[in-house]
Amino acid sequence: MNREIPPEVLAELRASVRSLRRELESRFGVGEAPEPPPAESDSLEREARRPEPELEHEPAEPRRPPAPGWIQQLRDEVSARLDEIDVVKIYESLRERIAIPGSGDISAEVDDFGLDERYLQRARRWLDWLYDTWWRVEVAGIEGVPDTPRVLFVANTAGILPWDALMIAHAVERTHPSRRRPRPMVSDWIATLPFSQSRLARLGAVRACAENAERLLGANQWVIAFPEGQKGSLKPFRERYRLQRFARGGFVSLAARLRAALVPVAVIGSEEIHPILFEPRILRRLLGVPVPVTPTFPLLGPLGVIPLPSRWRIRFGEPIWFDDVSPERAVDPLYVNRTRERVRGAIQNLLDEELPRRRSVFA
Amino acid sequence: MADKLAVAARREPELGRRGLAITGLGTFTGARLAERLLEGDAPPRIVALDLRLPRRLEGRVRFHKVDLTEPTADSLVAEILQKEECDAVLHAAFFTDPHPDVELSHELEVVGSLHMMNAAAAAGVRKLVVTSSAQIYGPHPDNPGFLGEDHELRPHRQAHALRDRAEMEGLLRVFAQRHRDVVVTALRPSWIMGPSYESSVTRRFESARVLTLLGYDPLFQFLHEEDWLDAVELALERDVPGPLNLAGDGVLPLSTLLRLAGKRSLPLPHPLVYRAAQLDSLARTGDPPAAFFDHLRFGWVVDTRRAREQLGFDPVYTTQEAWMSFVVQRRLRGYR
Repeated sequence: MNREIPPEVLAELRASVRSLRRELESRFGVGEAPEPPPAESDSLEREARRPEPELEHEPAEPRRPPAPGWIQQLRDEVSARLDEIDVVKIYESLRERIAIPGSGDISAEVDDFGLDERYLQRARRWLDWLYDTWWRVEVAGIEGVPDTPRVLFVANTAGILPWDALMIAHAVERTHPSRRRPRPMVSDWIATLPFSQSRLARLGAVRACAENAERLLGANQWVIAFPEGQKGSLKPFRERYRLQRFARGGFVSLAARLRAALVPVAVIGSEEIHPILFEPRILRRLLGVPVPVTPTFPLLGPLGVIPLPSRWRIRFGEPIWFDDVSPERAVDPLYVNRTRERVRGAIQNLLDEELPRRRSVFA
Repeated sequence: MADKLAVAARREPELGRRGLAITGLGTFTGARLAERLLEGDAPPRIVALDLRLPRRLEGRVRFHKVDLTEPTADSLVAEILQKEECDAVLHAAFFTDPHPDVELSHELEVVGSLHMMNAAAAAGVRKLVVTSSAQIYGPHPDNPGFLGEDHELRPHRQAHALRDRAEMEGLLRVFAQRHRDVVVTALRPSWIMGPSYESSVTRRFESARVLTLLGYDPLFQFLHEEDWLDAVELALERDVPGPLNLAGDGVLPLSTLLRLAGKRSLPLPHPLVYRAAQLDSLARTGDPPAAFFDHLRFGWVVDTRRAREQLGFDPVYTTQEAWMSFVVQRRLRGYR
């Protein structure tokens, strides 16, 4: 195994090292002293230094011609290429390419609730991929969504992490002529979950509470609400597409007071991404956060967090208007309760209409 | 010139007609505000109440040595206020940092403030401005995006200083209800940052590596020290009763702040950090670290609309600028 290096190859190597050194010297001015004033010493120094490489080089010089031309060519090529390579640029482009949400670049400014436009811009390609390839989202009824300053979307929710919220926002942004991106409201317990809250906030999600919704709608932003709340995101698989109870209906009085159009939204497919078998209470008590058990989740570890690639359909219903509702009526509990159930019925109807239409969950 | 005189004339009846009493002259707020007023166009007569007089204010203010924790401090203070004819009081006698002596802290912040309120009422003071803190809202996962003044006060249960401050605000509310002729203003500044302000909070952000909690990136909001002094001055000038939130414009996530400052983060898992904090507090460093670590997890952003609309508070520095002025100054001082 231990082979001798043939002498001509050795000489070749030596020659190349020498020429490289000469190249370096001429480029970085090692041979020539940069300060001209002491002319005598300078010239002396040069005299002394010049012959040295020449002498040393002499025995290798005659050996040079036998080197095959293509090696020389390749060497020149490589060195020329190496000069061109800008390490900083490569790093930047790599970062650009691997803009995984979270490790990517962030901007120096965020809006009041932490939405980071630059981060969102980078995350868009991932969201696009999820939207087009992973879940193959179809959108129906988007033409019914009015282009008014204030719109409150109300949707069913499932799945542990708010993927449906991100997808609805993405669907509206991509298909609605106004190109507006509604801001989803996510349930409280997400805020205590490491890693997800900060990312969701940068993507525009806010915590679900009346104050936040009022501020956002007041600033003429579109908002997505999930009145099922935590009950929805942790609902067991056997209850899929059965809407849980809607909270106190704060969303109704809010939309009525602020004269926002209320659009019921049904998401088909999101309830299969994390089929929750059960949610053991003992784990919730031990860890302080709900730990749902899915066929994959605690079993496969982190891999179990990957949502299943079901085929999605997002259906937007007819908007409900509150233009003729007086401010007193908007806070009347009976009216709010009735409207809340009406919205719930509308979403359930959309779900019931869409469900028999699909041929299979994944195809 | 005429314009300037007009300004002085307009200001004068507000502040300088009688005296302004400042408690806690040794604190940042007390000392800096006194200097600012003395250098102004119409310096009021400043009556200082504290344990000792800062050297740079010697001979410029009327100093009375008062210990607010003494049982009879209220009648003593009332006497001074009456003799000195003070009609406005700036109550700033609070510890900037949580004091390790829990009892002393309680005596000064709650009982001392109560003495001050009673004395102010007895002396017929027209205005009482108290420097509270927005930290008494507490960082919580279920905080709304912006905390209004009427939001519930939920200080961390281990943070004795904040609990005392919240208790003091409760007493202040009762006082304001009972004495409707006194204008009572409680200023609740967010974290104050700036070139010279020092507190346990600024000290935590001084080093080149800042502790963060793994997976959390809360939104921060800062108030520049000059804006803070502006706000105190405005509160003394204009009559806005009730609590007022104060903060610079804009919010920034912690990770962005560190990146702007060129600092590196030291992310640690939060269960570990909270455990370690228990040991730290056993060492009685004075700060309840667990209360601070909540700030690294959950949002705590105040709504400053009320101060803007009613007080006319218009901060010069944004959150980002306040942070950068802090960072640059500390770098000049040799920290990284």
